[in-house]
Amino acid sequence: MPHSEKPFKLSVPDADIDYLRKKLEFTRFPDHPDGMDWQYGVPIENVRRLVARWKDGFDWRAAEARINQFPQFTRDIEVEGFGTLNIHYVHKKSEAKGAIPLLFVHGWPGHFMEVSKILPLLTSNAGHHAKFHVVALSLPGFGFSEAPKKKGFKIRQFAEVGHKLMLALGYNKYVVQGGDWGFTISRNIAYYYGPEYVKAWHTNMPYTGPPTFAADPLLYLQYLVTPLSPQDVQGLKRNEHWYAEGRGFTWIQQTRPQTIGSLLADSPTGLLAWIYEKLIVWVDHYHWTDDEVLEWVSIYWYSRAGPAASVRIYYEYYHDFEASQPPWSPVPFGASHFPKDVFYSPSLWVRALGNVVYEVRHDVGGHFAAHEQPEILVDDIRALCELEVVSKEFDY
Amino acid sequence: MSSEQSFTLAIPDADLDILRKKLELVRLPDELEDANWDYGVPLADVQRLVARWRSGFDWRATEAKINQLPQFTRDIEVDGFGKLNIHYVHQKSSAPDAIPLIFIHGWPGHFWEVSKILPLLTSSSEKSPSFHVVALSLPGFGFSEAPKKKGFSVAQFAEVSHKLMLALGYNEYVAQGGDWGHLAARNMAYKYPEHVKAWHTNFPFCQPPSPLKNPFLFLRFMVTPFSKRDWAGIHRMMDWVKNGQGYSGIQQTRPQTHGYSLADSPVSLLAWIYDKLVAWTDDYKWDDDEVLSWVSIYWFSRAGPAASSRIYAEFHKEPSGVPPYTSVPLGISYFPKEIIPVPKLWTRTIGNVVFDFQHEAGGHFAAYERPEDLVDDLRSMFSKERGLKLF
Repeated sequence: MPHSEKPFKLSVPDADIDYLRKKLEFTRFPDHPDGMDWQYGVPIENVRRLVARWKDGFDWRAAEARINQFPQFTRDIEVEGFGTLNIHYVHKKSEAKGAIPLLFVHGWPGHFMEVSKILPLLTSNAGHHAKFHVVALSLPGFGFSEAPKKKGFKIRQFAEVGHKLMLALGYNKYVVQGGDWGFTISRNIAYYYGPEYVKAWHTNMPYTGPPTFAADPLLYLQYLVTPLSPQDVQGLKRNEHWYAEGRGFTWIQQTRPQTIGSLLADSPTGLLAWIYEKLIVWVDHYHWTDDEVLEWVSIYWYSRAGPAASVRIYYEYYHDFEASQPPWSPVPFGASHFPKDVFYSPSLWVRALGNVVYEVRHDVGGHFAAHEQPEILVDDIRALCELEVVSKEFDY
Repeated sequence: MSSEQSFTLAIPDADLDILRKKLELVRLPDELEDANWDYGVPLADVQRLVARWRSGFDWRATEAKINQLPQFTRDIEVDGFGKLNIHYVHQKSSAPDAIPLIFIHGWPGHFWEVSKILPLLTSSSEKSPSFHVVALSLPGFGFSEAPKKKGFSVAQFAEVSHKLMLALGYNEYVAQGGDWGHLAARNMAYKYPEHVKAWHTNFPFCQPPSPLKNPFLFLRFMVTPFSKRDWAGIHRMMDWVKNGQGYSGIQQTRPQTHGYSLADSPVSLLAWIYDKLVAWTDDYKWDDDEVLSWVSIYWFSRAGPAASSRIYAEFHKEPSGVPPYTSVPLGISYFPKEIIPVPKLWTRTIGNVVFDFQHEAGGHFAAYERPEDLVDDLRSMFSKERGLKLF
């Protein structure tokens, strides 16, 4: 049966690059009163500097060449109720026997290239640890995948795309890893397609509220009688701060994605500030180079569906919240906690998410774990998959 | 010696060119099928408005209309913030006993929201009171300077408005405001009761009575059932809380991050404001040029559009922006499509309500949508028959 897979080489037309430069030349900056620090948003010196570099100096073709070092493809995936979506993905096989197929799922404002540092480590044949075939897709509406055209493309549909892609690539047994939306989507993939297809899932952002009686009475009782550790208390306080100060962007994206869409589509400076804020606020002492930031934001600027499409996932999730939280699943689950990530979850609560067989709390790292701390994340993924409960499913 | 200068709006040609160039280079988002207003401003509206803005819309004609209102600027000293040059409309009535009134706008409003009520308020008549009208551009909005430091909040809005009235020779006056104008007027009534003889609002922003702060009202509140109108209002409020406050969520936490796109992209600003012009009005039939005039005031504003969102952050950070109950006489006009229509009983926690009226039509931009209704209320509130001993 013929498939639609085609090799993909990123090659943004010259006209698009010129267009971006023209827009940057006409940038009109806001005023910026004294004392306006990060409390109000991205300080203007940062934006001016990045815009100047983006206009003159940043070499998108060089970034493209780097991206094209990763083997990329597109293929059509049929999604129930939404027709065919053309999905873009990185796919690199390991040479090792018994390598484990792994699907890497990004979030927002992330993208498929977040896999770039962990992929060589995961697929490497060296050493005695678990080896992986790695698939990293652009989620529908992100990067170089098509966006859905109809309303109601929910987490369930994102999960369906990830799963069908793995099947289409011939992987009837696989594991899935993700943070941010990748966490929610991985969780759904594990629930709906495991344990038959999904043999384990891992997240670097285990995010959950406290256990509820309805979902898990025993865990709930345990929750009632277990005091919070000092670390828990501190972590939950950080969450409170997030709720009060850090989630304005989710508020607008989950209620008015089309209104904010004009912002993201039309102003490269606006898009840059919108994303850059997260790249700085959500990491743990990670030193971005300007070109690294611009490469990251350019992927959004040049994305196939345009940047406005990427925020609709917030709307669909918010309007289908209950259904996006699947019940507990017996699929082996690994959780890595990074201290500077956006949400803190006490370990007891994490047990409500799934069958925790591996859990670790790190003392460095933030939201973009695969990009900030690739070796640590890879260690965790290997450790999870080397557990007998997972490794027995593969020839490893 | 005053620094008052008369003001004529005259945006430089170069600025019009930049706007046109940006509109020519516009890149619009995609849209889902059958999205309607579910996800925000429909793309068809944006496309149509952008096309008109780019060619067809005549800013100079709008300017001429705006310049029919007598406008001025003058420096106002603000404690801790130095001098700010403030832009305002000022029209006196020919009636000898006219009441000085300051009209205070909010976001995404501006001084020009006064344009329909001004001729009615200043007109002279035997039967009803007349007003001298002052309508300022709040600092950071319209053609007033923006503060140069952080920390400029509703107390400072009140201070500027009050000092402006004093500077114009109005030692005693009344204040009218909705949206941020409500909080400004409320602060003025609380802080300057010897000068603010009464105030009126179309945006009664308040909470249910609390047992500690308003014990009698609380008791009444406990035993008074909600009317049908109350329930409709509460549903509307809940909808705003659930679906309508994203804009305030981002503006109160990260105005600067969001400000880059408002400053740089006219379509971004257009969508952002137009969303509210439609969602917050009661079936008001906006004309495209009306929308574009409105948004252009933000686009061409003196401090740039990013400055106007900062009040959300300043208010969010500073806990004392809502003053306690004041006994200065208060009038309230209720419009059903206001964004947070509260039950009448709750509004008694705000101040000494001496007048109120419930309208059957109208939304957030009352002075613009229902000018006659609002003016009727003001005339009624200050009529000789009512006998409010003000001056």
